[in-house]
Amino acid sequence: MGNPVAIIGIGQTEHGKRMDVAYPELVREAVVRVYEDAGLEPDDIEGIVSGTMPSMMEGVALTHFYLADAMASKGKTILKTETCGSTGMSLAHTAYYWVSSGIADLVMAVGHEKMNEGDSQATMTTVGDPFYQRYFISGAPGVFSMQSQMWSVRYGLAEEKIRDAAAFISLTHHDSAFDNPYAHIKKRLTAEEIKTARIITYPVRLWDVCPNSDGACAVIFASQKMVKKLGIKKAAWVKGVGFSGEEQFFGDSDKAVWQSAVLAVRQAYSQAGIKNPLKELDVAEVYNPFTFQEMMFYECFGFCELGEAPDMVLRGSFTRNGDLPCDPSGGTLCTNPIGATGLIRTAEAALQVMGKAGDHQIPGAKLALSHAMGGIDQFNGIMIVGSEL
Amino acid sequence: MPKKVGIAAVAQNAGVESKDNFYDQSYKITKEILDKAGLKREELETIISAASDIFHGGISCANSYYWETTGAFLKPGSRQDGESLFAFFYGVMRILSGDYDTALVIALCKGSENPENDACTLMYADPFYQRMIGMNETMAAAMQMRIYMERYGIAEEQCAKVVVKNLANALGNPYAHRKGRFTVDDVLGSDRIIDPLTQMQIAPKSEGMVALLLASEEKAKKLTSKPVWFRGFGNSIDHYYIGDRDLLDSPLKTAAARAYKMAGISRPRKEIDIAEITEPYAFQELIWCEDLGFCGPGEGGKMIDSGATQKTGDIPVNPSGGVLANNPYVSRGLQRVVEATLQLRGEAGERQVDKKMKTALAHGTHGFAGQCHAVAILGV
Amino acid sequence: MAKEFRTLKTSVNLPYELAYGPIWTRFFDGLLNKKILGTKCPKCDRILVPARSFCPRCFVDTPEWVEISHEGALTAWCLTNYRYYGQPVEPPSISALIRLDGANVDFLHLIGGFDLGDFELVRRKVKNGMRVKAVWNEERKAQIFDIKYFEPV
Repeated sequence: MGNPVAIIGIGQTEHGKRMDVAYPELVREAVVRVYEDAGLEPDDIEGIVSGTMPSMMEGVALTHFYLADAMASKGKTILKTETCGSTGMSLAHTAYYWVSSGIADLVMAVGHEKMNEGDSQATMTTVGDPFYQRYFISGAPGVFSMQSQMWSVRYGLAEEKIRDAAAFISLTHHDSAFDNPYAHIKKRLTAEEIKTARIITYPVRLWDVCPNSDGACAVIFASQKMVKKLGIKKAAWVKGVGFSGEEQFFGDSDKAVWQSAVLAVRQAYSQAGIKNPLKELDVAEVYNPFTFQEMMFYECFGFCELGEAPDMVLRGSFTRNGDLPCDPSGGTLCTNPIGATGLIRTAEAALQVMGKAGDHQIPGAKLALSHAMGGIDQFNGIMIVGSEL
Repeated sequence: MPKKVGIAAVAQNAGVESKDNFYDQSYKITKEILDKAGLKREELETIISAASDIFHGGISCANSYYWETTGAFLKPGSRQDGESLFAFFYGVMRILSGDYDTALVIALCKGSENPENDACTLMYADPFYQRMIGMNETMAAAMQMRIYMERYGIAEEQCAKVVVKNLANALGNPYAHRKGRFTVDDVLGSDRIIDPLTQMQIAPKSEGMVALLLASEEKAKKLTSKPVWFRGFGNSIDHYYIGDRDLLDSPLKTAAARAYKMAGISRPRKEIDIAEITEPYAFQELIWCEDLGFCGPGEGGKMIDSGATQKTGDIPVNPSGGVLANNPYVSRGLQRVVEATLQLRGEAGERQVDKKMKTALAHGTHGFAGQCHAVAILGV
Repeated sequence: MAKEFRTLKTSVNLPYELAYGPIWTRFFDGLLNKKILGTKCPKCDRILVPARSFCPRCFVDTPEWVEISHEGALTAWCLTNYRYYGQPVEPPSISALIRLDGANVDFLHLIGGFDLGDFELVRRKVKNGMRVKAVWNEERKAQIFDIKYFEPV
C-alpha cells in the first residue's frame, strides 16, 4: 500500500425522509458537521470527491455542479465518483488513493442522495440495459431476491430456517437503529411481524428490505504528516482496500458464491494481513439492504463456511454481543441514502475504531471492516480501518 | 513507490457514427489498446472509466452496463462521472500509490445515440430556477461570449477564426467528425442559432471511445520504447449559479496554476510546445489561452490574429482540430491527452506538428461557461 | 438514425417530487405576492438573489431577508432560436442575466415584451446595461414563471 492514510473527521445528516430541506441544504448539513468534527475549515481541504447513485434519482445530472457551493468547493480540486450502489465505498477509495499517492494531504469525500424525490425503483430499473434486462430486474429487490433464492437452493437451506435467520437479523438491526442518532427507520418489531409482513419480491418481505432515505455523509481523509501536524489523537487508519466487479448480464456469473465479494475482501485482507477474519475483526459494517443477502456476505467474507450463515446468525454470532458484531449502526437495512450508504459504512467502521460510536459503540473495537455493493449484482468494495497505524 | 507515471499506449475511434453498439465499441477499443501494448487482459491490474450517467447514454450507473467491455471482469476499478480528465487523474493516483503497475483509463461516449448536448446539459441546471429559464451550456456560452466581446473589444471575426483554423487542422485527423476549409464569412454566415453564437462556432455531437494505458516507470519502459510521462495535473470548480460568477474570471487560472506548479512550469508560453484544449464554443479557445497564460487578459483575439496558435506557430493549439471538430462529450478531455501524447511521440500522422517537442498540455472543461476545468501536463 | 443494424428507440421519463426547503419556499411564496426576495450574507454583506440559505463564498448562513427591486440592468443576454428535446421555453426567446438594483449577483430570467422575429432589430435594441423591469403573470403559482419576463424600461 502507498503512504498511510487516516480518517480524521465524519459528518452525517439525520437520515430519513427529508422533505424539510432542498438537496444542496441536505448536503451542506453533512459538510458543516465534518468540519466541526475534524476541527477544520473548508480552506484547509485540498480536494473534494463527491458522488451519488444515478442522476435520475433526483433528476439533476453531474451534481458536483449543483452542489459546488454546498460542499464549499469553489477553487478546489474536484472529482466525481460513481459506481452505482457501491458509489459510497468507491468515494472512500478515491479519497484513499488521492492521499496515499502523496498528491494531497487532506481530502474530503461526500456521498449524498435524496431518494424520496424520485422514484427509486424506477431509477434502479434504468441501470439495466434497455435491450435485455431493464424490463425484468424489477428494481433492486428483483435481482437480490433471485440471488437469495439461488443461494438457499445451492446449500439446501430449509426455507423455515432462513426465514427465522432473516427475521432475527431484521429484528436486531431495527433495535440497534435506536442507538444510532442518524438512523432512518427505528422500529421495535417481533419475529412474527417480520415473517408475516407483506411480500415485496418473494422471498423478500417488507422488513427484509431497506428504506428509501434522504441523507449525506462527509468524511475527511488525511496523510500521516497531516495527522501529526494537526495533533490528532483519534484517527481511523486505512488498513486495506479491495474492489471487484462482474458482468452486467445477471445470468453470467454465479451469484450464490459471489466471486466479486470474495475477491474484493481477499484483496483487502491481504493488505491488512488478516487471516482469520472472525477472530481478528472486532466489528463489520456489511452493506445489507436485504436480510438474506447479508447472510451471503458473511459467507463470502469468510466469517463462516458456505451455507452456514443462518445457523451462525441464529446462534447470535453476529449480534452486538456476539463473536463478530455486524452492523451495530442498524446498517443499510435501516438507512439507505444510496450514494452515501457505502461511505456511511466506512464512517461507522471508523467511528467504532476511534471509540466515537456513542450508544452503539462496540467496546474496545480496534479493527473494523466496511463494505458496499452495487450494479446489477455486480460490484463489491471493501475498506478495513484500524485504530493503530 | 513509483515516482513517475508513464503513458504506454493510446487508442481512439472515429467521431462519426459507428455501426457497432456501445457495448461492442467499448470492447473493441479496449482490445485495441491491450494489443498495442502487448498486454493480456489478465495482466491488466486496474481500470478507471469515464462515462456520463443516464442523460448521456440512456443507462443509469453506466459502468454497470459496460464493466466487462473494459476488461474489468473480476478486477478492481472505478468510474468518474462526466469529465474524462478526472479519470486520467484518478488512474495516475492509483499508480503513484504503488498498489498498481498498470491502469487502463477509458472514456466512453456514443453521441450519435444521445439527445442533443443541450438537452443533456439542461439537466445540470437546478430544477427550480435555472432549468425553468432553459439554462444549458450553449446559453451560458452565448452570454459569456457577449461579455468577452464587450469587455475586451473582441470581434466576432476573431472568434470565427478559431473555427477556420481548427476545422482545417482536422483535415489531417482521421478521427475528426467535422472538417474542411472554411472562411470567416462561412462561419459568421452559418445559422445564428443562439446569438452571438452561430452554428459553426458550436461543437458537434460526436462518438468517441478513447483509451489510454498508464504504467509505473519501470513497467512503462517495458511496454513501450516511447513512453510519455505524466508531469502535472490541476483542476478547479467555480460557484454554481451563473449569476454569482464573473464569467471572465474562470477557475481555469487556478487549475492551470496547480498543474504548472506540479510540473515545475513558470513560463507556460515558452515551456509548453503544443496544447490540446477543449473549446466547445469557438471564442472559448481565446479565453482559455488567456487563462492558461499563453497571452495576457483580453489578448486572445490578438493571439489568433498573430498566427501563434496555428500548426506552424510558436504554440500550436488544437492541431487535431479540437472539440469543434470532434466532440464526444465525456471523452473529449481524455482525447486531448491522447492527441497530446501522439504529438509528443511523433505519431500524429498528417496532423503532426513539425518541431522538436518536450512538453504538451491537455485541457478539459464542462459545466456552464466553464464551471469546472482540468489541466494535464505531459512530457518526454 | 440510418444504420445497417437495428436500433432501439427508447426514452427515459420519470416523475419527481423535489423539496424546496424553507428558504426557497419563502422565495417562491414571495413571487406569488409580486415580491423578489434575497438574503444578505452577514460576512461579506453581499445580497444574493434568489434567496439562499447560505453564502457560497463565506459558507455561513444568510438569515437576513431583503426585498429586491423589480428593476435592474442587463449583464448579458442571448437569443435562442433553435429547438431541442425537453426545451422548456418556446423559441425565439432571450435569456438574460440581470443585475437587479441592490443585489450583488445577477438574476437569470427572460427578457421580452417586444418583437423577437427580426434578429437585426433585436440586436440593435438589446444592449448590456439596458434597464429592464419585471412583468408579472396575472396567474401566479409560486414558481419562477410568476415573473413572465423582464421588459425594457
